[in-house]
Parts: sequence; structure tokens; C-alpha cells
Amino acid sequence: MASLWTLQLHAASLPRCYSSTHLEFRAEVGGFCSGFRKWNRNKFVDGKFVLRALSDPWNVDEEHKRIDDQNEVIIKANVARGVKSQNPLIKLQHTVASLPPVIFLKKKHFSISFAAGLCAVAMLLIVVLRSYLARKSRNSRPGSVADLVRRGQLRSDRRGISTPLKYEDPFNNPMVKVGKSNSTVEMCGKLYRLAPVTLTKEQQAIHQKRRSHAYQWKRPKVFLKEGDSVPSDVDPDTVRWIPANHPFATTASDIDEDLAQHNVYQKHGVPFRIQAEHEALQRKLESLQNEQKLGKLVIDHGAAKDFERPFKSHLKSEDQVEQSSSNSQMSPKHTNSDSAQNSYLNRPASDEMQKP
Amino acid sequence: MMISLQPLTNPKPSTLNPHNPFYFPSHRPKTLKTPLLKPFFPIQSVLQYNRKPQLAGETPRVVVITSGKGGVGKTTTTANVGLSLARLGFSVVAIDADVGLRNLDLLLGLENRVNYTVVEVLNGDCRLDQALVRDKRWSNFELLCISKPRSKLPLGFGGKALIWVVEALKDRQEGPPDFILIDCPAGIDAGFITAITPANEAVLVTTPDITSLRDADRVTGLLECDGIRDIKMIVNRVRTDMIKGEDMMSVLDVQEMLGLALLGVIPEDSEVIRSTNRGYPLVLNKPPTLAGLAFEQAAWRLVEQDSMQAVMVEEEPKKRGWFSFFGG
Ligand SMILES: Nc1ncnc2c1ncn2[C@@H]1O[C@H](COP(=O)(O)OP(=O)(O)OP(=O)(O)O)[C@@H](O)[C@H]1O
Ligand SMILES: [Mg+2]
Repeated sequence: MASLWTLQLHAASLPRCYSSTHLEFRAEVGGFCSGFRKWNRNKFVDGKFVLRALSDPWNVDEEHKRIDDQNEVIIKANVARGVKSQNPLIKLQHTVASLPPVIFLKKKHFSISFAAGLCAVAMLLIVVLRSYLARKSRNSRPGSVADLVRRGQLRSDRRGISTPLKYEDPFNNPMVKVGKSNSTVEMCGKLYRLAPVTLTKEQQAIHQKRRSHAYQWKRPKVFLKEGDSVPSDVDPDTVRWIPANHPFATTASDIDEDLAQHNVYQKHGVPFRIQAEHEALQRKLESLQNEQKLGKLVIDHGAAKDFERPFKSHLKSEDQVEQSSSNSQMSPKHTNSDSAQNSYLNRPASDEMQKP
Repeated sequence: MMISLQPLTNPKPSTLNPHNPFYFPSHRPKTLKTPLLKPFFPIQSVLQYNRKPQLAGETPRVVVITSGKGGVGKTTTTANVGLSLARLGFSVVAIDADVGLRNLDLLLGLENRVNYTVVEVLNGDCRLDQALVRDKRWSNFELLCISKPRSKLPLGFGGKALIWVVEALKDRQEGPPDFILIDCPAGIDAGFITAITPANEAVLVTTPDITSLRDADRVTGLLECDGIRDIKMIVNRVRTDMIKGEDMMSVLDVQEMLGLALLGVIPEDSEVIRSTNRGYPLVLNKPPTLAGLAFEQAAWRLVEQDSMQAVMVEEEPKKRGWFSFFGG
């Protein structure tokens, strides 16, 4: 996670005033990063970029054993793990972190070492810049997978392309700032005063009591059309009358409740109606076969394949297993399925049919 | 948005008092890594980017979003709070319980992917998992519509059907969802009854005007009669400038009239309409908008079963200085 890269430079390659000093750019660079982070909300979880120059009594030069002030530049790229980001700064840090450590040793000759240092710095810059540009162009290339994600064809979280902004804090971010005295809040650049909520539990209870007096209500359990008679065992308060021409409601329940419940609970296999339809059609086909009329029937195999639910031969056994609720019985289903199948016999052959 | 040059070494810890809407009761750990420097004041540090709200209550939390009056923002709230919850890492199933006039799918941009609805599941035309439309942006968000615009649902059946749906979701293979949000249709008709039947808690959406408030009070009464005790309200389409000019009831006035805990205050924001057109909920906007942030905060409070302790009441003339860093 945290990678450390030590880069030793010749003393002269750095400005003289830095030698024998311990310099921290932390505040500056860190400030920049935090600014960046604010700008690029939360993509950057805990990034730290520390550039430090310090003197180090380390000399490997054979000819001159003299301990010279030597500057060491430590670039610490402390990048939080698991942050998928398109933040160019983080990419840069990753690139830097993935490079092997390079140690430039001090040479006696001033100009040579200076040139070497300069070359190294230039090369480093080129490498970083190149990789940065390469990544940038890869991301902005039209027609990449990122476009599929943008169009909703691919899931972004699995691809790791877009950043899942989980655990984002809506209460403290660059757009929302609470004032020092907690009496103001800044949201989206506007300053608001905060007024405390004064509602107490007692007041809440008083309101509840008031409402319980004002509104006495029982949830309707029975829905009846005009003209229906109220069943004897039903509390008239729980009856809801609806007009016969209601646009989307009907009182006539043409579906069996237990069957419907079973349908909702079904987890696998072919849904009931599809299966019933299939069976009915199959029966029709068989009867046709018996009458030697099969030759005239055309089955569109392509259309059958389009239909997503595959019909298996072991449908029935699978269907039996799906009973997840103990209180709903299977028996009504079967009595009902027979009638359903009969009704489907009259329907025209559909494309959903598939030859067994 | 300007880049702040605030140094990292100065995380500017802010201690918060209980009158702060952004303050959470201290008995719940707020940050994953809050340094306990002062034991009595939770300190917000930069580390809160790792924060995640603490899920309170039993899952799945079945929340109905209702209002009585139409067009006050129930569907907008469902879409935005739902996606905020999903972004916070919770699995969410949003149910559009509007039988006649469904539009949650439009707000979410999922209208082309709704092939099956609860009606088809009941009929045995498909299984429940086939009727759930998974959002491709946030895969822990799923949409379930109760019916297609023109299909008829037997009355008195919807409530039962939703209870079965909730039961089926509870013991599905990938585990129960954390939240089941039910977008309630307007009115107190069969659709309302259908929507509230499986719910354990309610979010009441209202606007700060008297017509909406009266309906909200009525609906709250009905919910309480039905045994739903945990009711919080979201005041939508608030205009602080009009409140300041005494042209609109303030949020505190609304609270005084209804006596409900506040889950959120959503400002009037033209971005709401724009996001509806795009089929791209506001909370996904980058950079975030005022209303989007308010929805995210409401979602956060919903998770923690928290309510607002203070409301933003009026705009003050913008001061120069510290805040000018964050000019939006
Ligand atoms: N905070 C807001 N700022 C601006 N416009 C809003 C806001 N909230 C909702 N709207 C707009 O109000 C309209 C109605 O919103 P929405 O569909 O969410 O209401 P609803 O309560 O679900 O309506 P219905 O009762 O018909 O189901 C939409 O056009 C929406 O864009
Ligand atoms: Mg709606």
C-alpha cells in the first residue's frame, strides 16, 4: 500500500540552500492534495504526498571518503489501497510508486554529476508524462468499454471503471460546511442560518392524540362494487365501495389467491402460467398429430429460441419443490391448473411453443 | 468549484453541539476512525470520508413514502433516497405501488427495462426475480412495478400481494434487502391501502402549503390508525427566499402544524425537473446540487433512524473570508 521511493541526488543538483537542511514540502503538497481532494470529492481517500529533502551522511564514493552533505529526496507516495480513480494525480502517484528505486551517487566531478542528475530528472519527467498521457488517451478514447458503462450496458461496479462513491458523507464535504459556531451552514456556496428544532416528544404525543380523535379509520379489507351485498361476517367499516367503471381496479378476482401467493413465492423453474400454456399447446399438438394434421403446422424455431425461459422435461418435479411457504397448499393449484389448461386450449398457437 | 488550499496538516476539527442538524447523537459511533481526543465531543476529522451510516432497526426496513396530496414529490423522494441508500452500500428494492399512473421507472431511467410487474408475477407469467429490474448504475438497487399502466389489479388484493412480495424478498437467496421503499400513489384510495399494508414505517412528503398540509395530517392520522407509528416527514420544495419574505410557511411552522419529526428538508431546485427529464436521479449528479445533497442527508438519517435537530432557515448575505474558499 504505502510505497517508499528514495531518490538521492547530488548536493549540487539541488539549490545550495537546501543542503544540510531538513525541508518539508508536506504542508504545501499536502495542501494541494487536499484541495484536489475537495475538488474531486472522495475519490482520493487518504492520499499523502510528501516531498522531503534532508541531509544524509552517506557516501559511497571510493575516491573521496569525505562525508559530504548529500541531499536525499524521499518521495513518499502514500496512497490508500483500493481506490479506483481516474484522478490524474493518483495515477501519477501510482506510476511513481511502481518505478524501481534509483540511487544517484555522488561523483566528484561537478559538471558530470550535474548533467547526470539533470538527465535523470528529465527522463523521469518524460516517463511520468508519457504514461500519464497514455492513460489519459486510453480513457478518453471513444468507443471504449467506458462508453458501454456510460450507456448502461455494463455494470460499472464490477468493471471498476467508474468510482463507486460509497460512504460519501453528505454532512461534511466541500459543498456542505458547518460554521464554526454551529449556527450557520454553508451549502453549495450559500450561507444559511440554522434554527433549532423545538418539537418535543410531548408535543408529538399531543398531535398524535389529536389525530386519533380526528381520524378514526379502519383499513378497508373488503372491496365491493355498487350493487354487491355486504357479506354478513364483515365489519361495515372495513368495506370500501368502488365505482364499477374504476379505471384500473376491479373487484372481480379471477385469480386464485393461493395460486397467486405460490406464484410470488416461486424461486426457480418455469412460472405457472407459462407451463400451463405449454402443456396445453403440447396436448393440442398431440391431438393434431393423432389426426394426421401435423404436416400443416409450422413451428417457428427461431422465435421459440428467442423466448428466454427454457422448458425442461423435469418441470413438474421442480415445480413441486418450490413451495416455500408452509401455509399455502399445493392442492388448489392443481385443481386450478386444469381449468386454466382447458381455457388455453381455445387460444391460438403462440410462438412460445417449443417442440418437446 | 474552487480548489481549497487548506493545508492537510490542519484538518480543522469541528466540535458540534446538539443544535446542529449535522450532529448525531453521540452514543452511536459516527466515524470509523474518530480519534477520541475529547471524550465528550465527537470530533469530525478528515477521516470521515470513510464514514458510513449505521443501519438501525430490523431489516428489511419496509418504508412507505406517502403524502395524500398528489404531485408533492413522493416519486422524486423514492428515487433519490433509494439511490442514495444504494450508494451508501445498502441493498434497496423500490416498489412503485401506483397502479394506474406509475412513473418511478421514468425518474430512474428504467422505463425500457420494465417487462414484468407484480401483476404478471401473480398471474404466473413470470417469477418475482424476473420482475425485479436491477439498476445498472448501482446494482444493489432494484425496481419493482406493481402493474403496467393499463392492466387491472383486483382491489383488496394489492395489499396481500405486497405482503407476499415482501415475504418472498425476505427469504430470497441473496439475502433480504436492507430497504424496501414503497412509492405510494396519491389519495387514500385502494392504491394507498395497497402501499401501506406491508410497511412498518412511513415517510410523509409534504410541501409547505396549506392544501398539502391538510392532506398530510389526514394521511398521518390514517397511518397511525393502521398501526404505523414511525412516521417522519420530508418537507419538499422549500424556498428559503420566500420564507424570509414571509410568503411561505417555514419548515418549523410545518412542524408545528403536523407535530412530526423531520427527516429532511428539500429545497425547490430546477435540477429536479432536469434530472427527471434525463432519467438520472439528482443524487447521482456531479457536482452535487442543493436538493441532491438534501436527499442524501435525508437518506442518511433514514438509515440511522435519526431526525433533524435544526433547519436552515434563511439566507444570510455571503461573508468574505473563510467561506469564500468554497464558493460553488
Ligand atoms: N424539490 C423540488 N424542486 C422542484 N421541483 C420538484 C421538486 N420536487 C418535486 N418536483 C417536481 O414536482 C413534480 C411532481 O413530483 P413527483 O412526481 O415526485 O410527485 P408525486 O408526489 O410522486 O406525484 P404523484 O402524486 O402524481 O405520484 C415533478 O415534476 C417534479 O419534477
Ligand atoms: Mg408519484
